[in-house]
Amino acid sequence: MLQAFLVALAVLICVGGAELAGFTMLNRPIVVGPLVGLFLGDIHTGVIIGAALEAVFMGVVNIGGASAAEPGIATAVGTAFAIMLGKGAEVALTLALPIGILGLQIKTVLYIFIVGMFAKKFDQLAAHGEERKIVLLHYGLWLINWMLYSLVAFLGILFGSDVISAFLEAIPAVIMNGLTVCGGLLPAVGMAMLMKMLWDQKNCMFYFLGFVLAAYLNLPLIALAVLGVIIAVSMGMNEYKMNQLVLQRGIGAGSIGEYQLDEEEEEFFA
Amino acid sequence: MSNLTKSIPVEERSMLRKMFWRSFTLYAAVSPAKQGASGFCYSLMPAINRIYQGDEEGKQAALVRSMSYFNTTIPLSTFIMGLVASMEKENKEKEGFDTNSINAVKSSLMGPLAGIGDSIFWGVLRVIAAGIAVGLGTAGNVLAPVVFLLLFNVPALLIKYYGTFLGYKLGSEYIQKVYASGLMNILTKAAGIVGLIMVGGMTASMVTFRSAFELKVKGQSVLNLQSMLDQIFVGLVPLSLTLLCYYLLKKKNVSITVLIIGVIVLSIVLSLLGIA
Repeated sequence: MLQAFLVALAVLICVGGAELAGFTMLNRPIVVGPLVGLFLGDIHTGVIIGAALEAVFMGVVNIGGASAAEPGIATAVGTAFAIMLGKGAEVALTLALPIGILGLQIKTVLYIFIVGMFAKKFDQLAAHGEERKIVLLHYGLWLINWMLYSLVAFLGILFGSDVISAFLEAIPAVIMNGLTVCGGLLPAVGMAMLMKMLWDQKNCMFYFLGFVLAAYLNLPLIALAVLGVIIAVSMGMNEYKMNQLVLQRGIGAGSIGEYQLDEEEEEFFA
Repeated sequence: MSNLTKSIPVEERSMLRKMFWRSFTLYAAVSPAKQGASGFCYSLMPAINRIYQGDEEGKQAALVRSMSYFNTTIPLSTFIMGLVASMEKENKEKEGFDTNSINAVKSSLMGPLAGIGDSIFWGVLRVIAAGIAVGLGTAGNVLAPVVFLLLFNVPALLIKYYGTFLGYKLGSEYIQKVYASGLMNILTKAAGIVGLIMVGGMTASMVTFRSAFELKVKGQSVLNLQSMLDQIFVGLVPLSLTLLCYYLLKKKNVSITVLIIGVIVLSIVLSLLGIA
């Protein structure tokens, strides 16, 4: 009971907190794991599981509100079971993925049916200048939304122990293996989401550059970031200079200047 | 940077600081239809109240304006908030100011800034911070989460804090100049290049697949699928799967949920067939 409450509290602090203290990465496994460990009296295991799950969920990003899984509740519940059942990181890894995907579905349902319902209400309040009520609703919805979400973790831990134990025993090895394989492949969805935002025909070769550098030369990502910044800055400066030149030449020519700019840009990126 | 804040009158400075603190809750009541609309409205209230003091009608109109669809990367959101505040002020001071331009500027900025922000904060800063922290955490170092949060948040919060002042100071005229000079385009492209290199690298290092399939004759391996795949192209499966997901997402408008289920089914089938 106390354990279930503490895990739910961790979910509220981390996952709910990440929405209240926007974009501070509180809901990432590397933060959630140690916190649950701390609450349940085994911070060491919490840190190790948190790190392992962070690596698994690294490719899970949240772009424009869309995501492939919710890593926060996955880590909280996965870590809690691993500590409570005394079975180590493998248990957390097996459980995290299904819970993360389920968690995302629950989160989406809450968004649509709780917060989504009040979108109109917000407009009405704004039209009447009811500032206090907007503030109240703004925080109230947060509280309701994330209390309910934490409740899922609470109930899961409270009633789930036996079920999860039995589930872990009963699940065929081949399905278990399938879930592990899935953990490796799922980041592809997150990458595709990032690519949807960044990819265009003019710059897509840089995607393959990054891939080859990491796949064949095994360059760490920090090295790729530095290389990327160098390439981007030098190309950006070049293009800026070219723009300036064109603009200077284009004075008095008006639209012709702009036309040239477009054309040269095309050539540069072709 | 301190010059930037000092060049703004004290009272407006405290107004902008309030906006910065409120902006943390941008997505507290996020909804599918309007994303961070209520958060944007809430963050802008200090400015609206100050600017439209004693002008109930103007205030209500400004509240309605600020309650429109808003979605961008949080560390860059305050820049837009500062900018919108400066435009609201202009609206109050100037007769015949076109109020439509406020939301036009707001929505024209949030797309590019989300693109720049997501590649820099999700694609670069988070990945570096998490990479270092995972190393520490795997070794059992309890400080891993602290290191992660500091590495990510110190730069992100500095940008967010000064962004509020910068947006307010520059104002809409400057932004139009930036658009006209093509600088916005260049910035977007530059961030896109860094982002794509990182995403390429992440595809190679985070999307992982090892085939377990081996054809054995008399206990001797005659065909090892994984080493064969590696000879063709290292990371062939992760790369193909990622490109396929991207294609389905972008060109076929397949939803993310369907993609996830597809990946799960694919994984289990591969496992059942003994390929993975």
